Amino acid sequence: MKVVVDLTLCQDHGQCAIAAPEVFRMNGEGRLEYDGSPGEGRREAAEDAADVCPVQAITIED
Amino acid sequence: MGQSTAASASAPYFDISDPAFSVQSEEVRRARESGWYARTNYGIAVLRHDEVGRLLKHPLLAQGSARWPAHHGITSGPFAAWWANWVLNKEGEDHRRLRRLLNPAFSRRLVDPLVPRFQALAAELIGAFREPDRCEFMGEFAEPYAARVIAIMLGLPEEHWPELARTSATIGLAMGVTIRADLPRIEAALDDLYGYTDELIAARRRDPRDDFVTRLAQAQHEQDRLSPEELRDSLVLLVFGGFDTTRNQLGLAMRAFLDHPDQWRLLGERPELGRAAVEEVMRTAPTTTWVTREAREDFAFEGLDIAAGTTVHLFAESAGTDPLSVPDGRFDITAERPPHFGFGGGAHHCLGHFVARADMSEALPLLARHLRDPRPGGEQRWLPLSGNTGPVTLPVAFTPRSVPPTGSKGAPA
Repeated sequence: MKVVVDLTLCQDHGQCAIAAPEVFRMNGEGRLEYDGSPGEGRREAAEDAADVCPVQAITIED
Repeated sequence: MGQSTAASASAPYFDISDPAFSVQSEEVRRARESGWYARTNYGIAVLRHDEVGRLLKHPLLAQGSARWPAHHGITSGPFAAWWANWVLNKEGEDHRRLRRLLNPAFSRRLVDPLVPRFQALAAELIGAFREPDRCEFMGEFAEPYAARVIAIMLGLPEEHWPELARTSATIGLAMGVTIRADLPRIEAALDDLYGYTDELIAARRRDPRDDFVTRLAQAQHEQDRLSPEELRDSLVLLVFGGFDTTRNQLGLAMRAFLDHPDQWRLLGERPELGRAAVEEVMRTAPTTTWVTREAREDFAFEGLDIAAGTTVHLFAESAGTDPLSVPDGRFDITAERPPHFGFGGGAHHCLGHFVARADMSEALPLLARHLRDPRPGGEQRWLPLSGNTGPVTLPVAFTPRSVPPTGSKGAPA
């Protein structure tokens, strides 16, 4: 599974980090950091994060 | 509050508690030209797009409304308890847990199937205007539309909408400075809504449906679920947070298009511009004119020392119309625009924005198609132009279309 964030859309709201802290986190400056290749066990969490993103910047590729 | 923030004494000063204060005033425009912030009677006001965007998501700022009732001497009782349980007023892990449980029910993929019902509702309301060539936009459209969208979301009979509107408006008194005097009415309305939501939750538990309330009642994250209190508080929040804001924002949209008839005509011809129209209206005329945060600890930002406890008012309208971010200064539903802050942002970003975006972007093009050449049709009354704003009454005269409205897009003109 590959997680892709369109950084031209991302506004650092951090909703993904709330939904799936094991894949996404906000650093001390409030900027997004994420794991682009999380294990298959994190698919559901990553999909929740993609769903909740206010600007729909996250896609999950197989 | 904020006394120790080292705001320059030469920075502009606003009394934002004065009902005559307007976020759209010349004094705010002038202050935005001279710097990124102003001093206020409590805390600082942030005026420019770049700084509002960064502070809205700043890790050292917490949501600033948790202590609002306490500021007015309300520290116990049903209202104080509801306020404290409200997801907006939670922080840290308590907040993240509630958002994880609530967010999935508000996702776009669950909202999109409701679009045909939003279209049918808009068409029904337009078809029911009392007069063929004029309407009181707030009473005949914005209010019933906003309230019936809530009824649709909750799976309640739509004819119950006046009850939802009334109780929601009464709870809205809690956002005003007369909260203490209004408390008995507010608590009675809260009690009415609790009665409603308790019945609804019990009904869905007995007889689950493929709907929003069932999804919330069954919401689960790992082993965690919403408690019965959290569930009812969240449904009350949906009514309260979704109704006033949508009604006011629709009124602000109509008002904006009265000033821009060419844009209205274009929207009627190209309904696919509905989404962009909502964004452009919320950039230039958001109902939530500012969003409040509070400093968790001392920090420096752009040369300003902000002390722990300082209230930071982020002016959404001023940021949206900042010439540094939108130099052309036009209202244009076809232009590429930077993000607006009408739904707040960061961890507390509006939970219901997919619903609001979907319902308003259906309503506006349908209105544009049927209310041709709209113009002010009588005396308007307005909420104060600060805090949460919008028209109270907005009479509109227009040229009717000969074909009655239908909910489907692309019907022949």
